[in-house]
Amino acid sequence: MRRGCFFLILIMSLGTFIYLAPLYFKGSLLDPNAGVLNWGLVATIFVSLTILGFFFEFERAAAGAKEIALVSMLGTISALSRLPFAAMMNFQPCTFFIICSGYVFGPVAGFMVACLTALISNLFLGHGPWTPYQMFIWGLVGITAAWLRKLPLSKSTAVVALAAFGFLWGWLYGIIINVWFWTYFVYPLTLKTYLLTLLNAVIWDATHALANVFFVGIFGARVIATMERFKKRFYWSIERDGVK
Amino acid sequence: MQISLRYKDKGTVIHRLNPFAKLAWVGSVTLLAVIFEHPLFLLLLFLATLPVVILARAWREWVSLIRFVIYMSLVIVIINSLVMYHGTHVLLEFTFEIPTLGNPKITLEAICFGLGMSLRLLAIVSAFTVLNFTVHPDDLMLAMIKLKLPYKSVLAMSMSTRFIPTLAGDLERITDVQRARGLEMDKGRLRQKLKSRGAVLIPLLANSLDRTVQVAEAMESRAFGALKKRTYHREIRLGTYDLVTVCAAISPFFFGLYLRYLGYGGYRYYPSLQKIDPGQTGWLFLAALAVLLLLILPLAWRRRRYILD
Repeated sequence: MRRGCFFLILIMSLGTFIYLAPLYFKGSLLDPNAGVLNWGLVATIFVSLTILGFFFEFERAAAGAKEIALVSMLGTISALSRLPFAAMMNFQPCTFFIICSGYVFGPVAGFMVACLTALISNLFLGHGPWTPYQMFIWGLVGITAAWLRKLPLSKSTAVVALAAFGFLWGWLYGIIINVWFWTYFVYPLTLKTYLLTLLNAVIWDATHALANVFFVGIFGARVIATMERFKKRFYWSIERDGVK
Repeated sequence: MQISLRYKDKGTVIHRLNPFAKLAWVGSVTLLAVIFEHPLFLLLLFLATLPVVILARAWREWVSLIRFVIYMSLVIVIINSLVMYHGTHVLLEFTFEIPTLGNPKITLEAICFGLGMSLRLLAIVSAFTVLNFTVHPDDLMLAMIKLKLPYKSVLAMSMSTRFIPTLAGDLERITDVQRARGLEMDKGRLRQKLKSRGAVLIPLLANSLDRTVQVAEAMESRAFGALKKRTYHREIRLGTYDLVTVCAAISPFFFGLYLRYLGYGGYRYYPSLQKIDPGQTGWLFLAALAVLLLLILPLAWRRRRYILD
């Protein structure tokens, strides 16, 4: 657990550094506008290595066939749910599925479901340089959804919290994913150009945030209850004071 | 539920080409598009993708993607021209102030920079067309395993692709069952319609989770994970000829890196546009890069004849 936490903090610090470096290290070697470093490549390499790191974590955490089959199935459901909504400007339920998966089955499962969502749905919608970014951001959604589990929430407040969480991630998704477009095609990399890039996608992000609230509000309680029931039936663990 | 993969087996020489070679080639073009700034180099990368797309008979699908590229290109040109005032040839100067942007000056150089970056996007999207339309998902998974990516993750991906038709079938069956029970899914407003989909979604989820256990039990009964080193039912064989093809596919990337090291492939847009002519040596290097990029075609052609013989 400690190792996982350390890994996550390292990723988040590195990610924040890469994200903010173009804005604060003007004139130095780290300034992407100086032409020494290609910031698009730096960000893509970082994102890809992070995903690889989590794949290795899954290799360690997935003890048997059950875990692999579970994330595959949830990943497929999530990916397929994205397809009918492809033309609806990011109004789609897959972020909702990822949130529920992370919330019920934990951070590693949440991350893997997210990765599979991007990989499988893009077999239909098209892969591109955006795929690793989608895997990364949805992965973060899955991981952070698991954190909500630690809050003392009742069933009804959990749905409200998840809806607010989904709304926040709808916007954060846009804020992070636009980095690939910004670093690859826009010059210079300044706060102004970044905000303009975000402005271009503001409708997509707004519909994404609303879709998350909508789907969590309508299906959240029932989907979580179904997943919880499955978890209780098929998983067991030994705790210090007895069998759970 | 009608779903179809982007991949269609059209049996062309590009479809028959080793997936590693295609991955290496698409990776090379994408990376070169990111490291090059010179419009001629970017144009070459884009043009090099066209014969591959045509030979793969993915032309129609490619055209449908162009709409997306045109929209994104417009955005690229607008953003770049609104924020970059270092160009010397001012085409338009705003007389009124735009919040946070001030009085933008649209310069020729900024528009050219936007067009150059659009060319970069075009080359990348065009290269990925080859990957999306000619590499079978199973081959992609096998390639990932061969590349020593964590096995359990790749297995999860492979199982996911396997579950797609199963889930689509389940969805159809559950929808029919609910309709037979009198559920009217297409009535009411959008919110009502989506709500009634819940009557399909929840049983589908419960059914799928139960199926998960069956699949896991089936895997365990076949001794999944008993041995550290696994065996394969189907393998991508990487013979000498395939290795040569992969090397040929990756060669443009290393050559491009060398050119960047020599100082070619860069371009100065500001304060005024640099001369576009790369010079005699530059043209020679461009021609050499074109040959390396297209080397994959005769190799693909020869491979088919080799298999037929």
